[in-house]
Amino acid sequence: MATDTEVDLTPRLKTDEMLINMGPQHPATHGVLRLILTLDGEIVRHTEPILGHLHRAQEWQGQNRTWFQYQALIDRVDYLSGMFTSWAMARAAEVVDGCEVPERAEYLRVMVSEMNRITSHLLWLGTYLIDLGAMFGFPFYPFREREKLLELFEEIAGQRMMFNYIRIGGVMRNPKDAWLSKLKKFTEEFPDRVDEYEAIVTENPIFLKRTKGIGILRKELGMDYGITGPSIRASGVNIDLRRTKPYSVYPKLKFDVPVNDRDGDTFDRYIFRIREMRQSNEIIKQCLDMLPQGEISGKKQIAGLRVKAGEGFAAVESPRGTLGCYIISNGSDRAYRIKWRNPSFCNLSILPELLKNHPIADVMAIFGSIDVILPDVDR
Amino acid sequence: MRNGAEILKLGTLTITWWCIIFGAVWIACYLVGVAIPMLLSSYDSDAARITAETCRALTPILSVLVFIPINAMFMVLFERRGLAIFTVRLGPNRVGPDGYLQTAADAVKLLFKEDITPHGADAFMFTLAPIVFFAPSIFGAMPLLAAVTNYHELFQIVNLPTGIFFILAASSVPVVGIVMGGWASNNKYSLVGGLRSAAQAISYEIPLVLSLVTICLLAGSLDVVEIMKQQAGGILNWNILGGGALRGLDSALALKFSNSAPALQELSAKSFDQVLKTAYSDPAAAALGLVAGQDSMATIASIIAVVVLMACVLIAAGLYMTGACAEINRIPFDLPEAESELVSGYNTEYSGIKFAIFFLAEFTNLFVVASIFVVMFLGGGDCPVPAWLGNMLGGPQMASAINQVLSPLIAIKFVDPPTLFAAIWVILKVYGIVFFAVLVRGTLPRFRIDQLMDFGWKRLIPLSLIVFVLVVFAREFVNVHVGS
Repeated sequence: MATDTEVDLTPRLKTDEMLINMGPQHPATHGVLRLILTLDGEIVRHTEPILGHLHRAQEWQGQNRTWFQYQALIDRVDYLSGMFTSWAMARAAEVVDGCEVPERAEYLRVMVSEMNRITSHLLWLGTYLIDLGAMFGFPFYPFREREKLLELFEEIAGQRMMFNYIRIGGVMRNPKDAWLSKLKKFTEEFPDRVDEYEAIVTENPIFLKRTKGIGILRKELGMDYGITGPSIRASGVNIDLRRTKPYSVYPKLKFDVPVNDRDGDTFDRYIFRIREMRQSNEIIKQCLDMLPQGEISGKKQIAGLRVKAGEGFAAVESPRGTLGCYIISNGSDRAYRIKWRNPSFCNLSILPELLKNHPIADVMAIFGSIDVILPDVDR
Repeated sequence: MRNGAEILKLGTLTITWWCIIFGAVWIACYLVGVAIPMLLSSYDSDAARITAETCRALTPILSVLVFIPINAMFMVLFERRGLAIFTVRLGPNRVGPDGYLQTAADAVKLLFKEDITPHGADAFMFTLAPIVFFAPSIFGAMPLLAAVTNYHELFQIVNLPTGIFFILAASSVPVVGIVMGGWASNNKYSLVGGLRSAAQAISYEIPLVLSLVTICLLAGSLDVVEIMKQQAGGILNWNILGGGALRGLDSALALKFSNSAPALQELSAKSFDQVLKTAYSDPAAAALGLVAGQDSMATIASIIAVVVLMACVLIAAGLYMTGACAEINRIPFDLPEAESELVSGYNTEYSGIKFAIFFLAEFTNLFVVASIFVVMFLGGGDCPVPAWLGNMLGGPQMASAINQVLSPLIAIKFVDPPTLFAAIWVILKVYGIVFFAVLVRGTLPRFRIDQLMDFGWKRLIPLSLIVFVLVVFAREFVNVHVGS
């Protein structure tokens, strides 16, 4: 018989796959990410993230604003951890310029950025629980503590989110003694609060059911995709710039970098962020004890701030991963070229791999667990 | 008590709104059910008699129609303020004095919003869906009305011999409305929400019904008024504590603590232990004892049966609450409107008055399932303090004092004390359950749909069947409501 009589052996009962647009106006995609999901029933077979809804030409703006102006803008890239974007840029500019940063300024930088790491993780914790459907109860508790830190930020930087506190060469303002004692009080009560969160969440059976074994990120896959931050540490890769490529005064401080010993799921990513918050709290405590007296800026903070000609790269460990900044300066009052390496952008690239063959209800559980900030993706 | 002030505010708010709800319903019922027929009775004509009878017959419907919107409005506010307390916030406190009118303002806003029918939607089905969703919660709860008003003569008309059967049948209709709305919206998220709702309702209705069937088995009746009446006489008689298995203990304690002279005489004749013994040696248990040739065997069998019954009924109550949460789509079973997945599920495309009806019905359903729980497990309008304890605490004096105060109102038939007390207890208990539901909402994340199905079919349904079978056997060894 000829080939045209061959029987088609594929199952006849195959249903159509459904294309569904998640976002950019979906209530659960933080910011404006659009995901084109191909669904087989409720199972996600293919994901295509569409980026760029929040593109604000941050790199181009860096070439068209003076250093002084651009410092104020750059907080907006990762609006939940503005201290780190400022710091990454300040460090890169300092590498290029070669200016000295006073030790007191370095301690203050470490202090405020660890505070910012805590606020960022706290907000993540609250919104992640919303992603899992705990719409009303728990998510407000982390915000209670975050509020206290934001008030401290407001006091020292004049702003609750867009701090513009870390400047090229140092920091903006010297904290008052009252501020330091308030921070000390916070660090003393914060571990109890974290215990409180853990009491509600970590042993919640529904939470465990929703997160254990979901969205497993294999170590090798994560390394291939260039994932950084707590997401990859929860999968067993020991990469934390504070330890692996020490900068600032981190070598003098005692703290652990929690690293998992197996491939992490969403629960691991949750628990490692919780542990990081505890470590950050310890770091702040030590900084408060070790804070030396002295200058707070090695460069004059004036509108005509200039950086010497040259090029250089510097990176910091932001709450989301490695945040790098590459600067080429021609010695004028603005940058010749600025390039950012944003952790959210790289971390988001793993999403289609993680979502594959998970039900649609897990899309948000997994997407939330890698902690992506959309302005940080689109810039 | 860091939130002491807020809790106090919630308390005053609740009491104020209860007074508003009660006042409105009470006055409406009085006018239609009592005042107009009384006025008409002076005219001796057929027309007047027929009008009076019609008015009386319409009273239950009128009371429900007045009650539901005001009550749902208050429940929204109650939930929001309650949740605010759990979540270290203040909640709505701007509209009216301290936020009392927040939901009234919300309702007005929803009424005046544009009513959008999306492009490509099935307009007829789209409009019908909220009605199908809401209507059962009005007529479905009718038999409960007879139970919670202590079988007041005006509400006897709505009672059915198969009351609980009718209520359950009616409460399973709204899911049709959800599927209808989800399908008619021409939106993929809505469709998924509607279908999820259907799957969920089918799975969770079984444990829900089985748990109530267990109670009906103990009561020997499907009539909600009958079930409520059996539980009269304090917390020990309520179904939640063994479905009447503690009745003997209750009567023994009543004998022990009663101060009246005849009871004293009886007590001298019959000791406390003997009363207990007679109560807990049911014929079946006694037969067991006869076979074994030991008198204490019967008592032991009885006591084991009592323990089993108490455990089973507690489990049944838990099963009912779980099933009911799933039935009315509340966290942790709010998958049909899972906000982080399906935008807003089946009601994504709804706006204005249609959305308001969905919203109203959701809260009414919560109230109805809480009322069913109260009537079936918590003794309806029964005072939790047993009569013998109440007598010791001066209950009769208090009751007569209240009667004294209310006597002018009683004279014009505005107040019927048993109905009033029953209504107060019912509303306290029902809002206790609602408060519990709010607490759950403030604590738990949401299940995933496959985990939900697993939980329903692999855990709840076998458990409810086991409970049912255990109760079938255990009730043979002890006097429950039927025997006494």
